Amino acid sequence: MRNTSLLLRATGLLAVAGLGATVWLGIWVTPPDEHMGNLVRLLYIHPPAAWVAFLAYGVAFLASLLYLWPRTRDLRLDRVAGASAEVGVVFTALTLLSGSIWGRPTWGTWWTWDPLLTTTALLFVLYLGYLALRSVPGDPVVRARRSAIGALIAFIDVPIVYFSVDWWRSLHQPPTVDLATRQMYVHGSMAWTMLLGFVAMTLLYCWLVGHRYRLATLVAIAESEGAEVALAERRAEARSDRLVGAGLGRLADVPSSPALEPAGAARAETMVETLGSEWRPEGGAGLAGSSAS
Amino acid sequence: MTTAETGAPARAQGRRPPTPKARRTRRRLAVAGTVLACAAGFLLYKALTSAFVYFKTAAQAVADRAALGDSTFQIEGTVVPCTLRRVGADSYDFSIASGPVRVAVRDSETPPSLFQPNIGVVLGGHFVGSSEVFSSSVIYIKHSNQYVAAHPGRLARGTEPTGCSAASLAGT
Repeated sequence: MRNTSLLLRATGLLAVAGLGATVWLGIWVTPPDEHMGNLVRLLYIHPPAAWVAFLAYGVAFLASLLYLWPRTRDLRLDRVAGASAEVGVVFTALTLLSGSIWGRPTWGTWWTWDPLLTTTALLFVLYLGYLALRSVPGDPVVRARRSAIGALIAFIDVPIVYFSVDWWRSLHQPPTVDLATRQMYVHGSMAWTMLLGFVAMTLLYCWLVGHRYRLATLVAIAESEGAEVALAERRAEARSDRLVGAGLGRLADVPSSPALEPAGAARAETMVETLGSEWRPEGGAGLAGSSAS
Repeated sequence: MTTAETGAPARAQGRRPPTPKARRTRRRLAVAGTVLACAAGFLLYKALTSAFVYFKTAAQAVADRAALGDSTFQIEGTVVPCTLRRVGADSYDFSIASGPVRVAVRDSETPPSLFQPNIGVVLGGHFVGSSEVFSSSVIYIKHSNQYVAAHPGRLARGTEPTGCSAASLAGT
């Protein structure tokens, strides 16, 4: 646990250092583009943010797939999927925002119903829906299963977004880094700075997912403990109801699990004591007395 | 005492009635789910209509000239060098090309700063009357995905001398 914490902290520090270096190189060191001039500096933010969004959804997809696979089913995978998708949504928003800021001076518009933009906006809404699905209250296992199915469905849009510029006519230029041909259409120090942006954003993603996963684990523990306490209280309530109805003599018949319900059992005992001393059935004998008779 | 207080019906079904907080959460999620479903539906509709055929190339537009009539659509092509002329405060005449096909354009909007000869553009507008002149009220720049550092001793791609007369570029 301590090692994980140290690793997470180191990742965070590296991400901050990488982002700082990207900003420094991007603003003060790299040259302007021959056509765009200084507008090209958004290149160090926009494609890396889009990459991280894809990465995040890819991880959520894989984790969900593994969760649905009976041999690898584990609620930790569900938490990884949730954490990754959450971070992915943040980076998709950043992609849309930086793209819009870039588009106004270069294309001449903040927004247009271009295939890439439209499918990216759809991706954003689909994963917001996924997060809404995750927050529907219910049994953790049921919730994890339906969330995993939701993640698989939402992921269908990811390749559509990536290949939309090839499949349809688009105002958006083709990807700057072509994964299929492994070519990059950026030259000189601009290329290295953009690559650094990719690394820094990826580290930031790992750091954010690490923290979000830990938080999700704590929430799961809290929910589990809360459920156990609620269960114990409910059993104690049921026990006291039966005691009232049938008398203390049937106390031993009530099924219970002392290991699961320390708080509830204690509360039940208190209730029994209180009822035993104060409640009097018709005829004047106390609960304890009627039990003894 | 109400049934909610006694919990009798719920107990009969083996379930507790949802707490006010749970009910509130479900209502909020239902609203959020409805909004998101509507947004996704709208975006899907836009993807299948506007985005699916975002523009016609100049060659396709000329080929479909009769069918297009004076309907509004988006046309794409490369700005032909030496055709750019300023004809008003905010209006320009120029031609776009798609392969060997050229379309004359009258634009009524100030072009974005990246507008220049040999750059790709997407124009929103319609053909004028029965002519093949395209009247444009929207102009978007379709730049490439190549980024090259500006160099004081080198001309940028697409801005090499074209041999245009000074008159054709006057006012641009």
